[in-house]
Amino acid sequence: MKLPLIGGGRVLAPLEESAFAALMGFFFGGILLVVLGYNPILTYYYMFYGGLGSLSNVTDMLGNAAPLILTALTFAVGVRAGLFNIGAEGQVYVGAGGAIYASYYFLPAGIHLGFALVLAGAAGALMAVPTYLLKAYRGVNEVITTIMLNWTAYFGVLWVAIVLLADPARPEKTISVAPTSRFPDFLLGSVSTSALLFAIAVAAAFYVYLWLTPSGYELRSVGLNPEAARFSGINPRKPLLSALLLGGASAGLAGAVQVAGRTTPFALYTGLSNVLNYGYNGIGVALIGRNHPLGIIVAGLFFGTLQAGFSTVQLYARVPFEIIQVIEGIIIFTVAAPELYRRFRGSLKK
Amino acid sequence: MASPTKELVKTSNLTKTYPDGTHALTGVDFSVTKGEIHGLLGENGAGKTTLSKILSGILKPTSGEIYIKGNLVRMKRPSDALGLGIGMVHQHFALVRPFSAFENIVLGTDLNPTGERAKEAKASIADLAKGVGLQVTLDSPVESLALGAQQRVEILKMLYRNVDILILDEPTSSLTIKETGELFKSLLKLKEEGKCVIFITHKLREVMDFCDSITVLRQGKVTGRISKSEASPITLATMMVGRTVEFELKRSPMTPGEEVFTIDNLTLLDREGKEVVKDLSLKVRRGEIFGIAGVEGNGQTELAEAIAGIRRIAKGSIRLKGTETGGKSSSVIRRHGAGLIPEDRRQMGLILEMNLDENVILGKQRDLQFRGSLTSIAWRKVRQFTSDLMKKFEITAKGPESPARSLSGGNQQKVVVSRELSSDPDFIVAAQPTRGLDVAATEYIRKLLLDSRGGGKAVLLISAELDEILQLSDQIGVMYEGRLIGVGAAETMSRERIGLLMGGIVA
Repeated sequence: MKLPLIGGGRVLAPLEESAFAALMGFFFGGILLVVLGYNPILTYYYMFYGGLGSLSNVTDMLGNAAPLILTALTFAVGVRAGLFNIGAEGQVYVGAGGAIYASYYFLPAGIHLGFALVLAGAAGALMAVPTYLLKAYRGVNEVITTIMLNWTAYFGVLWVAIVLLADPARPEKTISVAPTSRFPDFLLGSVSTSALLFAIAVAAAFYVYLWLTPSGYELRSVGLNPEAARFSGINPRKPLLSALLLGGASAGLAGAVQVAGRTTPFALYTGLSNVLNYGYNGIGVALIGRNHPLGIIVAGLFFGTLQAGFSTVQLYARVPFEIIQVIEGIIIFTVAAPELYRRFRGSLKK
Repeated sequence: MASPTKELVKTSNLTKTYPDGTHALTGVDFSVTKGEIHGLLGENGAGKTTLSKILSGILKPTSGEIYIKGNLVRMKRPSDALGLGIGMVHQHFALVRPFSAFENIVLGTDLNPTGERAKEAKASIADLAKGVGLQVTLDSPVESLALGAQQRVEILKMLYRNVDILILDEPTSSLTIKETGELFKSLLKLKEEGKCVIFITHKLREVMDFCDSITVLRQGKVTGRISKSEASPITLATMMVGRTVEFELKRSPMTPGEEVFTIDNLTLLDREGKEVVKDLSLKVRRGEIFGIAGVEGNGQTELAEAIAGIRRIAKGSIRLKGTETGGKSSSVIRRHGAGLIPEDRRQMGLILEMNLDENVILGKQRDLQFRGSLTSIAWRKVRQFTSDLMKKFEITAKGPESPARSLSGGNQQKVVVSRELSSDPDFIVAAQPTRGLDVAATEYIRKLLLDSRGGGKAVLLISAELDEILQLSDQIGVMYEGRLIGVGAAETMSRERIGLLMGGIVA
């Protein structure tokens, strides 16, 4: 059988629809830029130049995309199971902490990276356990628990970064990730390329899980119609656990990628500034990618490009940072709008 | 004021056709006079609820006229009806549960429940309540009140708005016997005050005891309008169930085999802890269809859920081929040889967003026959299975990749039934298997059930459709208020007798 790709059978094919929506976003953003007195063409030129204009820009962009793809998977697998899981943010922090902690051990290259990734993934998954327990046995909404756990993780990892993992010589950061547990330089002389390939491999694994295994099928069934799933004999707690653990692990890996798969600083800044917001931005990426692992890869690259362009636009097109964020917001919103509409039109009618 | 015989409500040639083509009401002439309790009687789908929703402004009629107190009216929304003095109390209450009874009663009026006039209003409501015997503690949150008290809050809510036509939809379905008695006392008082009550029910006894006149609906038409003095349970039952056989099905004589499915002394509770199925026992043998008739809401849904393993059992046992399956999960029950056809195919039988391939393996996703390499699902094998089912069961769809949502109701049901029959079960439960289907699909599904019987399977049919029960069953029982009453061989059960049993009268 033909493998289920994104969407299918609708008026506009998904890719065309997204491209059209993106163009609309650029158009409306452009109008805003003109109204505010900036040159839209110059702005967009530098936005893309920042992401694609030079070799180092491209690797920077890829480094941005890798963690976003992983956190988008967290949200997407949640949506597929009928959840609104926004716990990726905190799971990224603990994942980064776990990956750095692995550097206290001496292991051969390769094995060391694997060990760091396992620790990061496990830490992220562990962070999701309270959400599972509270939802499965007490019916607590996952939005509430994940928001609270994000703050728990923030202050917990902040403390760990300052007290346990601190670099004695550099108070602003933790110890650096050992060279043996960093992502290897792959293409273009950068660790970002191998980090991105890793993220793509994880996305592919999610795809296989969701569409080719009975357990993934059960997860999707519960997400689409919990009553029918239950009537068919599926215990709804199992997919709930899978979605939360797999999502947590993926977000934990995003944290690892962020500290072991980007050129600087191979550590956590003590304010956690280099891991902030990847979890929340992953929600946007998931929506743009229609909560489909393969769509998320494309969406992650798109989002990564926009973000990488931030600094160049400020510098060369002289558009203030705040305005660029508004423009970016407009573009992301228009691209995500069709999916948002499809997901939530039912709940609006009720 | 007009003379007491004047008609408060009158409809003329009222017709309602839903957008999907269902004729819910056809040419209904209905009238209620001042100071009477008027019973509106009928089976499921007879049009009782549609009529009451039109009278209370929730639905608009397709054609026909409504006269209130002699004036032709056109109501667009429930507030229009309230303005004309018509209030409805729904079967499922429309109350804000954490609010107090008082807050609920004044909700939507311009009274501020914490304002200056609140005390006066509360006192007047208390007087009103006392006057008609509807005792309620006004300051308690509604969620802490018993169902009977919640209903009194609903009625007071209407009386506070000065309605003089009160519509009650199945008001006794969730009440205890004592509460029912109290309700009727209050209704009689309201009647003395000159208000009129339209009382929707399927319970013959209540109609006989409390109503002054009765209108019977069947399939959207008025089949009778009689006063209490002319009415007898048997005439009402006949009007209610009628005699319509759409088509004939051949039922070959069968000798039933050994017992396959047994329920002993089953009791089930709802969320509030009320017994919804009471001490129910039955046996189904091979080559036999056991039909459970009854008006919906008498415990059939809960019974089917318990058999399917998705409802907790309070007492009693359910055995399939000698093995206790009560409390087991649906997948275990299926593995023991049960085919489960749920009453709501769109909610429970199918995942509408998924395609047919995905729907035919629902519950079979771990079966070895669909196993690919490692533990994956081999979609190629599933596709073959889907195509076979589509051919064998004449399922009309664009293809196996069509989402279940795109199929017609009849084809959706065929998908469900084919999936359940494909595992060659020894026992089949079919709950409301032809509800909402067209004649051809209905006939096809019924034939499948008869074929299963012919193939030596045991079939438990739960249906509110009396024709279906009579056409298919070898044994018939009627569910009434959670009990299975009047069980007997089909030959011994006349349509009238079942009609009486459905109305709660054991002849």
